[in-house]
Amino acid sequence: MTALLDIADLVVGHGPVTALHGVSLRVNSGEIVALVGANGAGKSTLLRALMGLVPVTSGEIMFDGTPLTGPAWSRARRGLGYCPEGRRVFPGLTVEENLNVAAAPGASLDTVYKLFPPLANRRDAPGWQLSGGEQQMLAVGRALMARPKLLLLDEPSLGLSPLLTDELLARLRAIASDGVAVLLAEQNAAAALEVADRAYVLHLGHTVDDGSAADPGLRQRVREGILSAKGLTSG
Amino acid sequence: MLQVLVNSLALGSAYALLALGFVLILNAVNAVNFAQGDLVMAGGFVAVAFGMLLPVPGIVLLPLVLVVMALIGRALAAVAYFPLKSRPPVSVFISTIAVGIILQNLANALFGAEPRAAPPLFAGGLVELGGIVVSRQALAIIAVAAVMIAAQYVLFQRTALGRRLRATAQDREMAEALGIRVNHVIAATFAIAAAYAGAAGLLLANTFFVTPTDGGNYILKAYIAVVIGGWGSVPGAVVGALLIALFEVMLPSLPLIVPGLAGLPGASWLFSQTIATILLYLMLLVVLVVRPQGLFGEAVQRRA
Repeated sequence: MTALLDIADLVVGHGPVTALHGVSLRVNSGEIVALVGANGAGKSTLLRALMGLVPVTSGEIMFDGTPLTGPAWSRARRGLGYCPEGRRVFPGLTVEENLNVAAAPGASLDTVYKLFPPLANRRDAPGWQLSGGEQQMLAVGRALMARPKLLLLDEPSLGLSPLLTDELLARLRAIASDGVAVLLAEQNAAAALEVADRAYVLHLGHTVDDGSAADPGLRQRVREGILSAKGLTSG
Repeated sequence: MLQVLVNSLALGSAYALLALGFVLILNAVNAVNFAQGDLVMAGGFVAVAFGMLLPVPGIVLLPLVLVVMALIGRALAAVAYFPLKSRPPVSVFISTIAVGIILQNLANALFGAEPRAAPPLFAGGLVELGGIVVSRQALAIIAVAAVMIAAQYVLFQRTALGRRLRATAQDREMAEALGIRVNHVIAATFAIAAAYAGAAGLLLANTFFVTPTDGGNYILKAYIAVVIGGWGSVPGAVVGALLIALFEVMLPSLPLIVPGLAGLPGASWLFSQTIATILLYLMLLVVLVVRPQGLFGEAVQRRA
C-alpha cells in the first residue's frame, strides 16, 4: 500500500503547545489510524502541526507524494479535512451554511445528510443551538465537504455520551469505505481501537508503541499504559 | 414634522452606512478602525473631485466613489492591518488613527480647508409629497442608503462570499483550516467597509458639505451607534445610527413641532444642537451603564 501521509522525525516545540520529540507515523489510503495517549501526550499538537496551525521545528511530512508545507488553507485544499478538538462549528452560521462554507467543487450536502441524518432535520438551525452530538456530526460533516483524502479527527468523543461516541465512531467505517483515510486522535483508547485498523500510542511527545488495532498485545499495553499514566496500578 | 423626520432619517441612513462598515471590520478582525470617519471625509472629497471632472448627478458618481474607496480600503488593510495582525488589537487602533491623520492632511493639501459640496444625487430643491414639502436630496439619500443596506444583507446572508466573510469573523483559524483564504476575505471586508463609508461621504457632502477635519465627528457617531446598537451587531449598528440622527435633528426642532415649547424660558438654549450633542453623550453613558450589551446585544455567537 502507498502511504498517503508519511511523517518522519517530526519535532514541534514552541511556546505553550505540547512538544513533539521526533514522531514518525504513516497513514495509508482508506485506512483508519488511531492516535491514542493521555491528555498532554501531543495528539492535538500533531494534528495542528499537520494543518500548519503550529510551526514545525524539524522533520518531514509527506502527503500524497509531496512535502506538506504552506498555510492551512492550502493544506485543506490539498486534501486534509480538519475536525478540531471542541468542534468549533461556526456559531452564527446555520448547519447548511457551516457545510457549504467548506464545500469543495463537487461536494454534496446529501452525502453528509445521509451519513448524519439528524443534521438534515436541523439544516436551518444556527450552530450555537446544536447539542454536543449534533455539533460533532456537523464538524465531521463540514470537514468532509472539503472532499478530503485524509480526515483529521481530534477528540470526537469529548463531551459525548458513550452511546453517541460509539454511533459517531461507527460512521468512520462508512467514511473510510468511501476512500477517505482517517487519523483519529482519541483519549478514549478503547473506543478508538474498536474502529481503527492500526494505532499509534503517543506518550509525552514520543510514539512509544504501534501496531494493528486488533492486536490483543497492543490493546493490553494501551490499557496498562493508560492505567499507569493515571497512577492507578501502584495499588 | 414629517419634514424633520425625513431629514433625520436621511442623516441617520448615511450614518448607518458608516456604522455598518465600522462593524464589519470590527467583526472581521476584532479591531476598531478609527479611520472609518476619515474614510467618510475621503469619500466626500472623491465625490467632489469626480464632480469637478464630470458634470453629472451624484448617483452616477456613486459607483466610481465605491470603486475608489474600495481600493483605499484595500490599501488601509495593507498598511494598517496586515503588518500588525499578530499584535494586540490596540496596535490597529493606533495605525488606523495614523492613516486617518494622513487622509486628513492629504485632503487638506489637495482641496484646502474650505468646505466643499458634492453634487446632489439626482437634483437639488424641494418636492411636494402628499402635502408635505421635503428635500429631494434627503429622499434620495434614504433610498440609496436603503438599497445599500439591503445589498449588504443579501451579500452576507445569501452569497458564498458572505458565508466566508461571516465564518472568518466568527473563527478565523477554523475558517483557514477549512480552505478559506482568510487574508483575502479580510481584505475584502476592509474594501467593503471603506466603500460604504465613502458612499456615506458622497451622500452627506451635498447637504452638509465636506471639510478635511470632518472625520473625528463621524467616527464618534459610528462608535456611539455601535455601542447603542450592540457591539458587533450589524442590525444594531443601523438602528443605533438612525436613533442618533433622530435625536440630533429632532431635539433642536422640537419647538417647531410642539409650538408650546418655544415659549418656555430657556427654550432656545435647551433645544439646540449643543444640548442635543451633550444629551447624546449622556445617553451613551446611560446605555453603557444600564445595558452594556446595547439594544441588540446578544450572545457573542450571534454577532455576525
